[in-house]
Amino acid sequence: MSVATPALEVVGAGHVAQPNHPRLLRVSSLSVSFPGAEGRESEVVSELSYEIAQGETLGVVGESGCGKTMTSLAIMGLLPSGAKVSGSIEFDGKDLTAFSPRQWRSHRGREVAMVFQEPMTAMNPVMKVGQQIAEVLVKHERLSRRAAFGRAVELLASVHIPSPERRAQDYPHQLSGGMRQRAMIAMALACRPKLLVADEPTTALDVTVQAQILDLMLELQETYGTAIQFISHNLAVVSEVAHRIMVMYSGRIVEYAPAEDLFSNPLHPYTQGLIRTLPDIAQPMAELYTIPGSVGGKRPSGCRFSNRCPLGDARCREAEPALREVMPRHHVACFKVN
Amino acid sequence: MLRYTFFRLVQAAFVLLVMTFLLFMLIGMMPGDPVENMLEGNPALTPELARQMRELYGVGVPLPVRYWHWLTAAFQGDFGFSSLYFRPVLEILGPALLQTLKLMIATIVLSIPLSLLLGAIAALRPGGWMDTVISFFAFASISLPNFWLSLILIIVFAVQLGWLPASGTPLAENPSLGLQIYHSILPVTVLTMFFVGPLLRYVRASMIETMSSDYIRTARAKGLSETTVIVKHALRNALIPMVTVLALGFGMLFSGALVVETIFGILGMGKMIFDAIRYVDFNLALIGLLLATIVTLVSNLLADLAYAWLDPRITLK
Repeated sequence: MSVATPALEVVGAGHVAQPNHPRLLRVSSLSVSFPGAEGRESEVVSELSYEIAQGETLGVVGESGCGKTMTSLAIMGLLPSGAKVSGSIEFDGKDLTAFSPRQWRSHRGREVAMVFQEPMTAMNPVMKVGQQIAEVLVKHERLSRRAAFGRAVELLASVHIPSPERRAQDYPHQLSGGMRQRAMIAMALACRPKLLVADEPTTALDVTVQAQILDLMLELQETYGTAIQFISHNLAVVSEVAHRIMVMYSGRIVEYAPAEDLFSNPLHPYTQGLIRTLPDIAQPMAELYTIPGSVGGKRPSGCRFSNRCPLGDARCREAEPALREVMPRHHVACFKVN
Repeated sequence: MLRYTFFRLVQAAFVLLVMTFLLFMLIGMMPGDPVENMLEGNPALTPELARQMRELYGVGVPLPVRYWHWLTAAFQGDFGFSSLYFRPVLEILGPALLQTLKLMIATIVLSIPLSLLLGAIAALRPGGWMDTVISFFAFASISLPNFWLSLILIIVFAVQLGWLPASGTPLAENPSLGLQIYHSILPVTVLTMFFVGPLLRYVRASMIETMSSDYIRTARAKGLSETTVIVKHALRNALIPMVTVLALGFGMLFSGALVVETIFGILGMGKMIFDAIRYVDFNLALIGLLLATIVTLVSNLLADLAYAWLDPRITLK
């Protein structure tokens, strides 16, 4: 597997979908908004509905500022104070939106864990790596400090960190970027969570290290049966790991389909644009495609992509298209798709 | 680490040597001389006697030569005689230093936990009512002059209510610890008020910054309780920049002690240096100022060592 030559692999890539597995996470009509200036509210996530099956990987793709991270923070119950949340998040039959802070604390780290983008800043610089991993086990599995540290060494070994005994005694700055991200994954998987939320886990890494981390995540998913919500702005990376892909634009889902369908038959103009932006190794000198405009600024009326869309017309600027199933398991929110 | 400490001590010794020269020159250039003071205080002193005394004290000798005499004597442990107290300066220095250290240590022991607590509470909800109250307190602490607060506290607690003594020094011959503490309540309160404000503002700023960092989010994502997140993950990181503030604050506290000692009649370093300069006591002023230099050098060295102890990313070579 290689991320360096994505264009050759994207079409038809991804895993076989696992539709028969029982449902793990069900998000319905999730909206997140923040109080803005002059009493106006800015909605960062609008009416989001999706599901993740046990052991499945859902890729979440979109440009910066499209609401990917806010969605994952909502699942973790880690939204900044002041955020207003509506809709429901159902995890393993439990309604997370009704959770008390205490219930959240026993949920986080045990049932669902998170891997962040920047492995350097995501670890406490003044605490030993082993200690940071052991902490989760002390909290959730009630292990003694000593036993937890021993487990932490085993976990470091399981993510293929050489000489794990020594590395457990190291501080984060003594590890390379790739090793830090491995340690973060070890930390996240310490209590064998049912869902792993990976927020751009490879973005800050070298391309070769990226591939290693993706391999590791797939390997661990196979071993533990963990479901993964994999967030990335990079379609090529997502194509390597995801069973299904959800494309977000400006807080909404614009397309939601099994990975192979999305790449072989992208329906939304935004998804088509994203795929066109990938470099093609067959035409190394070709100028890269860019989608005109940017996601920030004032939202247009009607379809939120209408001001950047090559197909946008009067109707698109009047009403907002709903997400509908146009082919089996292939959902899209666009008037131009039949 | 040992090597580093040794190297720093050698460096400090060199700085101290340069400082002896600078201070000696500055004090030597002060207007007036000790004999002139005696002339004013004692009409029986004839000009002939004054001339003889000037010769004895070496007042007329050029400054660099006097410095050389002082330095060679100092290396043999003789720091000279105080013209104010008629005793060797080291004999006066010892008790004065002890008084000031007691005052400063009491202040620091109270200020650090207090500023950590208040700063951390204020940082929990920036802009909340707790933060507003604590920030107002910090603002008052920074703005109120020492001498003013000392006088107000004396008027209220010593004169009107009669709860506490106005003097910082007990009159008894060998005061018990309890009595010493009783007499130090007001001066230590003033110094703590003076020290806590700036400290807690640094703690607050540092905590706010730390609490928004990624590893705090990671700690929360592990399901740790908010107390664990703050105490175990945030506080130690927030403390690192505090080390510098404390080291610099030491000098500030020393000068604050000068005012407070003078008002409360505590015979400490502050009062000693103040009197020595006022009555042109060369030797005493010199040793007092040198000691202030040593305090600064040592606190800076301790700050660097504390950095290495708190932050594993820093290694001292």
